Amino acid sequence: MKKSYTLWRVLPTMLLFLGITLSGFAQDFKVSGKVADTAGEPLIGASVQLKGTSTGTVTDVEGNYELLVNDKNGILLISYVGYQPSEVSINGQSQIDIILNTSSRLLDEVVVVGYGTQEKEDVTGSISSVKGEDLQNLPVIGASQALQGRAAGVQVVRNGGAPGDGGSIRIRGTGTVNNANPLIVVDGVPLAYGSINDINPNDIESMEILKDASSSAIYGTRAANGVVLITTKKGGFNERTTVTLNTYAGISNISNRIDVLDAPSLTNIKKEAYQNDGLDVPDIWNEPAFQRQRTNWQDELFQTGYTQNYDFTISGGSERTSFAFTGGYFSEEGTIDNSFFDRYYARINSTFKVTDWLTIGENMQLTRQEGNFLNTNSAQTGLVWSAIRFHPGLPVIVNEALPGHEIGQYGSSQVSGEFGDINNPIFTQDIEDDIATNNRFLGNLFAEIQILDGLKLRGNFAADASLFDRTEFFPIIDQQIRARDRNALERSYGESYSLLGEYFLTYDKVFAGVHQVNLVGGYTAQQFVSENFFAQRLDFPNEEFDQRFLNAGNTISGASGTRQDFSLLSGFGRLNYSYDGRYLLTATVRRDGSSRFAPDNRWGTFPAFSAGWRISREKFFENVEGISFLKLTGGWGQLGNQEVANLQYLALVASGRRYAFGPDGSTQVVGASLSRIPNESISWETAEMLNFGLEIGLLENRLFGTFNYFIKDTKDMLLAPPTVGTIGRTDVPDQNVGELRNQGLEMELSYRGGKGDFTYNISGNAAFIRNEVTTLFDGNFLASQFYGRPNQEIARTFEGEPIGTFFGWTTDGLYQNAGEISNDANIANDPRREAGLIQPGDVRFVDLNGDGLIDDEDRTIIGDPTPDVTYGLNAGFGYKGFDLNIFFLGVAGVDIYNADRMQGLDASYPFNLYAEAENRWTGEGSSNSIPRASVNRDNLNFRTSDLFIEDGSFLRLKNLSLGYTLPRSVTSNIGMTNLRFYVTGQNVFTITDYSGLDPELGLIDGNLQSNVDYAQYPQARTWVFGLTAGF
Amino acid sequence: MKNIILLLPLITLLFGCSEEFLDSTPYAQSTSATFWRNADDAVAAANALYDPLNDEQLYGHGEQTFEICSDDFWRAGDHGEDQAIEEFVFDPDNAQLRHGYSRKYEIVNRANAILINVPDIDMDPALKDRVLGEAYFMRGFANWRLHVIYGELPLIFEQDVIDGTFNKPKATTDEMRAAIESDWLEAAALLPASYSGADIGRPTSGTANGFLAKLYLYMDNMDKVIEHGERVINGPYPLAADFGDNFQIETENNPEMLFSVQAQDGWTTCAYRIYSTPRPWGGWDFHEPIQDLVDEFEEGDPRLDYSIMKPGDIIDLGGDRGPTEYTADLSSTGYHFRKFASWRESGGLDGSQNVPVLRSADVYLMVAEAKIRRDGNGAGDAEINAVRERAGLEPVSGAGMSELIHERRVELSGENQRHQDLMRWDKAGFIDIVEHYREDRGAFKPSRDFQRPKHYYFAIPQREIDLSNGVLEQNPNY
Repeated sequence: MKKSYTLWRVLPTMLLFLGITLSGFAQDFKVSGKVADTAGEPLIGASVQLKGTSTGTVTDVEGNYELLVNDKNGILLISYVGYQPSEVSINGQSQIDIILNTSSRLLDEVVVVGYGTQEKEDVTGSISSVKGEDLQNLPVIGASQALQGRAAGVQVVRNGGAPGDGGSIRIRGTGTVNNANPLIVVDGVPLAYGSINDINPNDIESMEILKDASSSAIYGTRAANGVVLITTKKGGFNERTTVTLNTYAGISNISNRIDVLDAPSLTNIKKEAYQNDGLDVPDIWNEPAFQRQRTNWQDELFQTGYTQNYDFTISGGSERTSFAFTGGYFSEEGTIDNSFFDRYYARINSTFKVTDWLTIGENMQLTRQEGNFLNTNSAQTGLVWSAIRFHPGLPVIVNEALPGHEIGQYGSSQVSGEFGDINNPIFTQDIEDDIATNNRFLGNLFAEIQILDGLKLRGNFAADASLFDRTEFFPIIDQQIRARDRNALERSYGESYSLLGEYFLTYDKVFAGVHQVNLVGGYTAQQFVSENFFAQRLDFPNEEFDQRFLNAGNTISGASGTRQDFSLLSGFGRLNYSYDGRYLLTATVRRDGSSRFAPDNRWGTFPAFSAGWRISREKFFENVEGISFLKLTGGWGQLGNQEVANLQYLALVASGRRYAFGPDGSTQVVGASLSRIPNESISWETAEMLNFGLEIGLLENRLFGTFNYFIKDTKDMLLAPPTVGTIGRTDVPDQNVGELRNQGLEMELSYRGGKGDFTYNISGNAAFIRNEVTTLFDGNFLASQFYGRPNQEIARTFEGEPIGTFFGWTTDGLYQNAGEISNDANIANDPRREAGLIQPGDVRFVDLNGDGLIDDEDRTIIGDPTPDVTYGLNAGFGYKGFDLNIFFLGVAGVDIYNADRMQGLDASYPFNLYAEAENRWTGEGSSNSIPRASVNRDNLNFRTSDLFIEDGSFLRLKNLSLGYTLPRSVTSNIGMTNLRFYVTGQNVFTITDYSGLDPELGLIDGNLQSNVDYAQYPQARTWVFGLTAGF
Repeated sequence: MKNIILLLPLITLLFGCSEEFLDSTPYAQSTSATFWRNADDAVAAANALYDPLNDEQLYGHGEQTFEICSDDFWRAGDHGEDQAIEEFVFDPDNAQLRHGYSRKYEIVNRANAILINVPDIDMDPALKDRVLGEAYFMRGFANWRLHVIYGELPLIFEQDVIDGTFNKPKATTDEMRAAIESDWLEAAALLPASYSGADIGRPTSGTANGFLAKLYLYMDNMDKVIEHGERVINGPYPLAADFGDNFQIETENNPEMLFSVQAQDGWTTCAYRIYSTPRPWGGWDFHEPIQDLVDEFEEGDPRLDYSIMKPGDIIDLGGDRGPTEYTADLSSTGYHFRKFASWRESGGLDGSQNVPVLRSADVYLMVAEAKIRRDGNGAGDAEINAVRERAGLEPVSGAGMSELIHERRVELSGENQRHQDLMRWDKAGFIDIVEHYREDRGAFKPSRDFQRPKHYYFAIPQREIDLSNGVLEQNPNY
């Protein structure tokens, strides 16, 4: 209670501010006129303001304005997005027409930084800025997807194409084996958890990605993975109220299929496999009923998906207030039936200038998300995995006499273990009932006080609160092979919230005309609480949907719940100093205390420095032709990461170990045992980063380039020590042992041009990042999840190598004849050869350690899932009312481990096979890469090996958008300011050599395994048609 | 100026925030500093010794997988790693070798925590003895299972837990057996001879003596086998009236059942009932008995019907299915075990089925074996015949090792004994296991290449070798 008190007690102070009354101004002189561009087209909504005052207005649909001013000798400031601002002296004139030139500069921009804003020209750190206009109307779920490919060194890793999957953001490589998600800050509020799915990209004014230490150190222990600052759209003062309606709707499809065998071909290969091993062919493979091709399961599974979005923005402002009110509905029905994601939201941002010296305001958003999440990540039960493997001779629903089936039931592999341990994927999809909802409030109240000229105090009070609710029903399954004999309903419910209180002073002053100083200093406290409970009942006599509530179950079988909290307390300060706009310096420090660590280790200090030299401002540079802007920057700093499990400094004893005793075993007892060994010295991870940057503008900055080179060393990385099995199953706490380095080059280039009515801009970004784990426990490796039914190790993380490298055997073709086997030095001492277990058509594995037999010691690194290059290319063209935008995304120099294909060629599993199995080895010279069919696994032909490594590079036309905006002359006649129609395609095409469904496979097991094909939910191609109307 | 004054108190308020803000609470959990207060905590800690047994990787399936090497049943199922185990061609990274390893050490360390903390708790001395006895017994039991599977492994004692020393070199076979012996002797001294009511199912002194008999049999110490075995035979652990009582839910905790993995439907269940039954009947179809085992049963031995489902048998599946005929197409070999599963009246496999680990019948036969080996043929007739008579079979006389071997096979089929017995008898010179496993017993148990002495023990999981940084050495020949 004490903690919240600290946060809450600031409220009355803020309310006090509200009580201070306003005073008015005298306005007497009237100026009017028209604002137009160089072609004479009126500019609607341009801002006209009397310099040095808050007096101002905006132009109407004819471009006209009218303004009452109290100083007939004042200066008018006229500005409009994309145009150079203009200043005009009134000089007593009452009619002033103004023509604005298009802006050719990129640098008249302000970027948002931590606890403030900065002129882009003055930035000495490394910040990528993405403008909201580039994110408009993308048919994607949320802000993180929209960010994909937009900024150098910012990778959004998509973890499959399920509705609602936002992807994981990685800034400057994967900075740690632990939680490597960046801190997300929305309108100054650091989020309690990373998901930004609930932010509609259409609501975003800008996203700034703070990449280096200098720019992000002000966020201290949470900045090591970079920081994403999201600024939502605000209204402007003296801005006409505008209403924008926006809608799009469209369809999505999965165009790819894994080419699998039909029933007759599968039968042939299975028979051959048994015969090759000298075994009797089981009767089921001689049953003609199952040799008829009936179903292409992928075609049954992948249907047309639907996406629709409706949103509105009402924004505007008077002299003293500004507001933006937005809201919308987004719905995605996935390409697999029964998977969906819906989002409803409303947001209001407003600002009130209470007096000359006091501004208050708020940004608040309510969101509701709802989705049904199908299992698509398991290589034992995943839906896509199952559809690739389910027997093609089985029907979706039985409508004819079929052995082991009744008419009307779902086709089932229960007739024989030979058809595999898979349930009919359409059955699974139809019965799956796993609905999760999330209601979230995200908002802040702020007050800003102008204390003296240049000195401001800002207070910010924020809350981020979510209610989670998930209901899963598990029906009885008696006609499928993975049966369930009792039904169950599970309901989990939780809330989590964070409260933030912070105060900071900003001092902005220019001394003697050349010393520009900006100082920020403040204090912030944030507390996080989450609480949940879970209940389960079994034995629902009636499985109808209206009975799927806990009360209807006959057996109470589970109830659990707990609470967790943690908190952060921090002080921070930053100095920006600029001498004559030429020499720039930034110094930042943050001191953080985190409850995640033991009392003696909870405080840390994170300093950062950077400097810049704007060479193009130097006298000697005045005569340099062509180069309009040139700046060099360099910086160093330290950042923290405290995203690890709570309470690792305590030895925890958990109850709930269940057992039963008694004469008939019906006395339930509960046991307790140590669940975690403590580590009292646990502390945060530290990332130390060095950054060098170059910004160059050519051709009046129409061509602009940013280049950054960085070295980011993560130290004290928290690693779970290699837990030798003798420790048992107790959680072993992390230790600050690991080190990891990311280093790389990032570049962003843009060009803006045009002639007459034709305008275009092209921009591109690329990052070349090398990831290397430099220290682990005593030369140990980090293991990760094993693959599916074969329980096969695929990835390991080693010292001196990138995270999650693929680890297995190397191969040298197939043995073509017995002679090759008997002469092969690789297996000279291998008992398998003596036992006759290696046959022609088996894989020749390479004996790396030279002991003449193939065993675990012959494994090595066979691939790297970290791309050498990630890049994005964006081109926009405008001609009269038409606009065309093309956005490509790509990665290169990356490997994929195609585990799905590995299993898909292995006839020893009772599953359907890839059609490629037709090209298997059947005799000398028939194949050198696809082994013979066999049901025994004597040579383990399908162990993890380089046979299944593929190049994962791809270039994807992520987004293609063609729009037409009606001429203003037309729209103004119908009372509109703007009307645009557009058609947009997402994932239009992909150029790749990868043979699987989708080369964007994402993370499998935290950061420790990625780019392994488990038959994830592929991303769909989406086409939407939409319109935007402004009033 | 007015503004600044307004701000001053605000600033002091905020910076007055104290360190308490950073305290975090372990809600709904104890810490080891707040646990171990009283008898309730001690009993809770003892209860936690057993729950790992129900794990799928222990008696849910994993422990029985080491028995597929025997000549009793075929692996069946769809676990890729099982074939290599059955055929003696596994590598040290075979997943099955890894699965149960740390789970057994988890039991060791839960026991160690009790042995470290419970002595200091002020509680009823009899209850304290029982809790400590349970800890000694279960530590010995986990080490025993580790020993029979892997041979030589690190032994983790109380001091190792206190010191955090887990990466230890192997103990020798003698050291392992001595540690197990010492724990079980402690347990035999501390545990009560029997329980009543709600505690039935916990290990007794009889349980500890039964396991001691087994340990001494592996150590070829026949006197001790007989000494400890007879404590069971003469104790309150009579054979159940009916062999089948041991495998039926109502009677599965009868006094013959010295130790079993306890389950209760909906609360804590053991998956072996699912693993061992046919797919269409709700099972996962592993571990199908082969004809060779069925043929071992004497004509009219009722234990066959209790132990194995055969075509033509009627099994009550409950619910809509009711009594259902077992047909040959339910199994590749034509058979399934019947001992480890039953079906609820309302249908579905009953989760209250326990998994037997040690029965008095096993102890009778161990004593018989010890007497035959010490005193010659016929010396064990009484114990063998006790087991045979319970089954309603004619007594034998002058029984030697072959009769004993036969009796053990049929009495204990599927109960995780046969492969270990065969290796034991091979070492003692009664059979030649290489020859025995080389014999072709049909499609589901073809000739296999058992390499002596390599395959006496399975390989230590490669993961453990890798993680130990050279401290832990692989077993010979792997």
